[in-house]
Amino acid sequence: MGNKPSLIREFERVASLEYKDIASQLPGDCIPIGFFCPYVPEEMLHAAGAFPLRLMGTPIRMSHVQAHLPPNCCHLVKSSFESLLRGELDFLKGIVFSHTCDTMQGLSDIWAFQKRLPFQFDFMTPSNLSSERSRPYLKAEIERFKAFLDANVREITPQDLKASIHLFNQIREKTQTLYRLRRKWPGWISGSDFAQIIRAGYLMDRSRYLNLLGQLLETIPEKSEDNGHPIPVFLAGNMTHSPSYFSMMEEAGASVVSDNLCSGARFLRLVTCEDIDPIDALTERYFSSFLCPAKHSGVQAHIETLIKEVEEAGARGVIFLFYKYCEPHYFDYPDLKKALEAKGIPSLLLEVDDPATSQGQLKIRIQAFVEMLNPI
Amino acid sequence: MENQLLNNPYRQIKSTAAYRRLMMAYYFMVKHPAWFGKKVAWITSGGPVEPLYAMGVLPFYPENYGAMCGASRMSPSLCEAAEQKGYSHDLCSYALTDIGSSFTGKGPIGRLPRPDFLVCGNNICGTVIKWYEIQARAIRVPLFFLDTPFFHDELHQHNLRYVEKQMGEYIAFLEDQMKRSFPEKRFQKVVSRSFETISLWREILDLSRNHPAPFAAFDAFIHMAPIVTLRGTRWAVRYYKQLKRELEERVKKGVGAFGREEIRLIWDNIPIWYDIRNLSKLLSSNGAVLVADTYTSAWAMEEPDLTFSLDGLSRAYATIHLNRGLGYKTQKMAKLIEKFGAHGFLMHSNRSCKPYSLGQYDMRREVTRLTGKPGLIIEADHTDSRSYSPQQVEKQILMFLEIIRGKD
Ligand code: SF4
Ligand code: SF4
Repeated sequence: MGNKPSLIREFERVASLEYKDIASQLPGDCIPIGFFCPYVPEEMLHAAGAFPLRLMGTPIRMSHVQAHLPPNCCHLVKSSFESLLRGELDFLKGIVFSHTCDTMQGLSDIWAFQKRLPFQFDFMTPSNLSSERSRPYLKAEIERFKAFLDANVREITPQDLKASIHLFNQIREKTQTLYRLRRKWPGWISGSDFAQIIRAGYLMDRSRYLNLLGQLLETIPEKSEDNGHPIPVFLAGNMTHSPSYFSMMEEAGASVVSDNLCSGARFLRLVTCEDIDPIDALTERYFSSFLCPAKHSGVQAHIETLIKEVEEAGARGVIFLFYKYCEPHYFDYPDLKKALEAKGIPSLLLEVDDPATSQGQLKIRIQAFVEMLNPI
Repeated sequence: MENQLLNNPYRQIKSTAAYRRLMMAYYFMVKHPAWFGKKVAWITSGGPVEPLYAMGVLPFYPENYGAMCGASRMSPSLCEAAEQKGYSHDLCSYALTDIGSSFTGKGPIGRLPRPDFLVCGNNICGTVIKWYEIQARAIRVPLFFLDTPFFHDELHQHNLRYVEKQMGEYIAFLEDQMKRSFPEKRFQKVVSRSFETISLWREILDLSRNHPAPFAAFDAFIHMAPIVTLRGTRWAVRYYKQLKRELEERVKKGVGAFGREEIRLIWDNIPIWYDIRNLSKLLSSNGAVLVADTYTSAWAMEEPDLTFSLDGLSRAYATIHLNRGLGYKTQKMAKLIEKFGAHGFLMHSNRSCKPYSLGQYDMRREVTRLTGKPGLIIEADHTDSRSYSPQQVEKQILMFLEIIRGKD
C-alpha cells in the first residue's frame, strides 16, 4: 500500500462493510461494543480493551422494526434497531447509549427490552451545559461509566486511558489536516471518497486507521491541480451516512469545504487535553468545544457556533442535511436559516429518510442551489 | 357530553361550573398580570411551579394552553402558521401550536400573555429544551433550564444531587428576576398546599376504583387543569375538596360517571384533545368507561416528601412518570389495571410525544403478558387532527370491545 488509490480503496472497503462482515473480520479475542454518539467517550471503551464500533445507520429494508417503533423515528434509530432485530448485531458484547434526544432515549429502553446483547449502559450526559453544576455531574457519570467498564470489560489503568486519549487525538489531528488540505485542493480527494474515509474511522481498528491516515497524508500533491474552482459550501446536519450526497454536490459544481456533521467535523471538537487528569479532560471537552443540537448551552450557542464555522470555512452557502424526524435539528433550523440570511449566506434544506432512496429529487435541488450561489 | 346518549347517559359533574369559573379567573389574571401587580413566567408542565407561587409569580403553561387549542380545534391552523415559518410538521404539535400562536397572536384566549421569563424542565421531554430556546430568543426574555437526567432503571445519588444543586440555582435565578429574596416560610406553605392538592387529586382518582367509577378518565382530562396550573394555591385545594365531596357522594349512592359500565378500561398517553367527546360517546354507547389513565395520574405522586424542602421537591420532580424508563411505565400500567379492576387498556400512540409513545408496542405485549388483559394501540396526535382518521379508530375500538366481551 502507500499510494493514494490503494489507500482509498481500503477505506472504501471498510466503509461499505455490512455488520456481519465486520463481525467476521474481528479477531477472536476482540470485545466489540457498539455506541451511537460522540457523547460516549470512545477513548474509555478503547482503554478498557474493547473495540468501539459506531452504529451509523445502514441502508436496510425495514421489516421487523414496525412491531416496536412508530414510523416517525429517524433512519438512524430505525435502521439500527432493524439490524439488532435481524440478529446482525449479535456479535456485539454490549451497547452504550448516551442521553441526547427523545428518540434515542426511547430506543435505549426498547433495545434493553429485547435482552439480545450481554450488556447495555446508559451514559447520562447532562442536557444543560451552561450550568456550573453540570461539570461535577458529568464527571461523576464518567466515573460511573469507568466503574462499569472496569467490572464488565477490563480495568482501565490511568496509563491505558492516557494512551487511548493520545491515539484518538492523533486521529483527530490527522483528520483535521485532511480537512484543511481538502479545502486547499478540493480536487485532491473527492467528496465521496472523503465521506468513506471518515466513515471507515468508526468501523476499524483505530491504530490501523491512524496508520492509513498517515500514509494518505503523505500522498499530498506537490501543487494544486486545476479543479474548475468549485463553489465552497458548508454541510450542516446529522451524519455522513452516504457518500452519494457528496458526489451530488460535487457534480453540481460545489465542494464541501467544512461541515458540522455528527460523524464529521464535529468529531474534531473532541480533542482532549493531555496535560491534566484524563477524567477531568474528558469531562472538560464537552463543555469547551463539543456541542450538539440536543444540548443546551445558552439560547444563542447553536446559532453563534454555526455562523462562526461557516465564516471560518469561507463557505458561500450552507446545505442542511437532516434525517427526517430529527427534532433537535428541525427545531433549530428556522432560526439558523434566518441568522445565515442576515449574514447574506443562503441555505438549502434537504431531508432524508433512508439515504438509499429519493436521490433524484435531491440532485435537482442541489443543482439549482449551487447555480444560485454561482454569480454569472 | 350530551345526556341524549339515552342508552347510557353521562352524568354531568356539578363542580364543573366552579371549575370553569376557576380557570376563567386564572386566565384572566395571567392575561392581565399588571392589574394584579404580578409577573408571568411560562413553565413546562413538569417544571417546579412552587417556587414561582412562593415568589408571587403567575405561571402560564403553554402545554395546557396547547390542550385548550386542541380541544377547541384551533391547533391545525396554529401549527400551519409555525410550519410556514419553517418549523417541520413532524415536531410536537404543542410546540407548534405555541409557536404559531406567538406568531399570529391567535388562539382561544387571543394573544398569549407575555412572559417576563421562562422556566423549562426536561423531566417530560427534550422537546421543551428546543421549544423554550426558540421562545427565549423570539421574546427576548431570560430562560432558566432545570436539567433532570432521565433514569432508565435506577436513580443514582449524583443524579439527584445534580438536580438539588440546580434547584438552588433556580431560586437564585428567581431572586435575581424578582429583585427580592426567596421567602422560605411562604415557600413551605406553598409546597404543603401543593402536596395537599396532589393528595386530593390522588384520592379523587382513586375513587374510580369503585364499581361503577364515579369519575371517568375523560372527566379527569378536563378537571386536571388546576392540578397542573394552580398546584400550590389555595384555589386548587378548595376546588378539589369540593370535587372530591361530590364524587364521594356519588360513590355512597352507587352512582357512576355513566349509567352503564360493563367494560372498564385504562388509557395511556395524552388525550386526543379534539376527539374526547366522540371517543367518550363511542365507548359509553358500548358500555365501556375509561376508569383511569397514566396521564392524569402522573400528578398523583405516591409518597411526597413531607419535609416540604427544596431537596424533597427536587426528588419529586426528578422522578415523575415521563422521566422514567419503560420498566417502570410497564409496571405502572399493570398496577393500574389491577387496582382499578380493568378489562383492558387503550394506548394512544401520539405522533407528537415521543417520550410517551416510544416503547408502547413492547409495553402492550408485556402488560398483556403480566395481566392477561388485552390492549389496543390507536394512532393519533394530541392536538393536531390533520393526520387523524376517526373512522379507522372507531372501527378498531369496536373490534377491541368485541374481543373483550368475548373474553368475559
Ligand atoms: S438527534 Fe436526530 S438523528 Fe440523532 S438519534 Fe435523535 S432524532 Fe435521530
Ligand atoms: S413532546 Fe410530549 S412531553 Fe414534550 S411537550 Fe410535547 S407532548 Fe409534552
